[in-house]
Amino acid sequence: MTEPRESIHPASEELALLVGGDMPYVRRWQIQNHVNHCAECEQEFERYQASHAELRRLADAEMLTGFEAIGDWDRLQREMTGNIHVGLAAARAIGKSGHHRLRKFRFAALAAGLVVLFTAGWLLNVPAEDSNRIVNALRSAWSGPQVAAGIILRTTPHGVSVRSQGAILTVLHPSSTNVTASFSGNSSVAMRYVDDETGQVTIANVYGE
Amino acid sequence: MPTYMENKRRGFLAALFLLVFCSAAFCAENTGAPWLTVDFPGDSPLGVISYSLGNSTASVRGISLALALHTSLTLRNTGAKRIRGLTLLVQAQDLTPSGKASVTVPALDVAPGEIFPVRLDLELLRPFNAVRTGGALVEVTLDCVLFDDLTAYGPDRVHSKRNLMVYELEARRDRNYFRGLVESGQFAKLQHEMNFGLPDMHLPQLGFEVLNDIRLNIRQSHPVAVACVPFSDSPLKMLKGAVRVYKNEMQKPEVSLRNLSQKTTQSIEVGWILRDERGRNYVAGSLPMEIAIGPVQQMKVQQPGILRFSHPSGTPMLVNGVTAFVSNVEFADGDLWIPSRGDISNADVDPSIKSAIGNSPEQQRLVEIYRRKGMAALISELKKSQN
Repeated sequence: MTEPRESIHPASEELALLVGGDMPYVRRWQIQNHVNHCAECEQEFERYQASHAELRRLADAEMLTGFEAIGDWDRLQREMTGNIHVGLAAARAIGKSGHHRLRKFRFAALAAGLVVLFTAGWLLNVPAEDSNRIVNALRSAWSGPQVAAGIILRTTPHGVSVRSQGAILTVLHPSSTNVTASFSGNSSVAMRYVDDETGQVTIANVYGE
Repeated sequence: MPTYMENKRRGFLAALFLLVFCSAAFCAENTGAPWLTVDFPGDSPLGVISYSLGNSTASVRGISLALALHTSLTLRNTGAKRIRGLTLLVQAQDLTPSGKASVTVPALDVAPGEIFPVRLDLELLRPFNAVRTGGALVEVTLDCVLFDDLTAYGPDRVHSKRNLMVYELEARRDRNYFRGLVESGQFAKLQHEMNFGLPDMHLPQLGFEVLNDIRLNIRQSHPVAVACVPFSDSPLKMLKGAVRVYKNEMQKPEVSLRNLSQKTTQSIEVGWILRDERGRNYVAGSLPMEIAIGPVQQMKVQQPGILRFSHPSGTPMLVNGVTAFVSNVEFADGDLWIPSRGDISNADVDPSIKSAIGNSPEQQRLVEIYRRKGMAALISELKKSQN
């Protein structure tokens, strides 16, 4: 769980910016509010204020006349402020980018794990007929309504089956019998065997029209 | 205190549990309805004495509900004629109207009032999201009953009357042939015929897949000439035939036929023998065609669709040659022609093919009696019926 915002100390750079008054209004209000309730930050803020005042005083007294750049205090202040802004923006950008990359990696790893788990579960549990049916349904949907959904008649190790509209009906034969399979045109597949229990010749047909 | 990821994981597990629960609830809703009904017409010559679903089970298989229905119907011949064969139509509401199944029991001899069993073993695999339309998941009805005078009863939705007629004519042909061997004392020949039908002498088995999906026709295939087996007494002469073959697929088989008789045909059935890459022959099946060919008329007939062949192990069987023969002919006046034993034995094909062509359901039944009970039981069975 995250800590309350008030308990997070602002960075030193932010305190420095607050001293110079170079900060967005909302953030300035937040930090100022924090500084008012935090002795540690208040001390640091006061140190920055003192430094800031000393710099101004020295500049006013022309103690820095040997340095051309410092001679123009406003220019120096703009450069410093700009540098601090650039630094803060860069730090934010790096932090955001790293965090985003980590989140992306976690998401990809989670997705890959789920895909592996799903594939393994599917291969172990879902019969090939169901898989084929789903694939065919997707193909039918992809290729449009001009392609008729096929009715498939076939022999299987257990009997003869008709597959249509997503369902499969199989007429089973006793496993121990000698079975003869045959087709009848393009609309029927049959198998013939002698039933061990009844002694009757039995012919099972499946039809697709 | 739980972290954000733990909360997320818990949410995922809860969603998964909800999904499983909904599936189970849906499954429970489905299994509350009757799985199977047997419904014969009121004026049917067959009455349903009883049936049970004792060993039937329901289970979850992948994203589907699997119903394994094992039942034995006990039926009574409530008519006045002997029953020679019957066909039960099996319809599942999930496949209606395009897909259906049937169970045919030929070579029967059921006297009026007699009770007999018919076994049904079915499996229905239906997706959980399939829409229920009410009623039983599987419905068994009577499609056709054939009597000993070759009349029939039933709606005949899957052309079972014609098939039962062919089976009965073949049964009479074979019983007469075997009875003749018994009466003339040719027991060695009878034994030879029976041994030829034993399982270890059976032709190797084939697996099939019939496809009507037009997308598959675009595959590369090459034309193959079809050899013809002539029967001397056949009313139809096969002039030539052709088929397109792509690996283990046979596409658009066609034959040219000439009617040598003085009668118009109503329907014909052409039998197909396939040769695989090792030179082994298989009687694969037949192509029934409802077609009127007038006397001395010639016609080319073609079947759409694709037939795909495989060995029982599931490996594809490469089609290396195709042979065709006229299996039976139905004329407009209702007469049916089937090849005689003489036609089959004189045919210029491999002996195993001759045996396969002549192996009717009745012969299969007689071979089973011989295999289980011996020659005495077979002779007794042949003497029992006069048709």
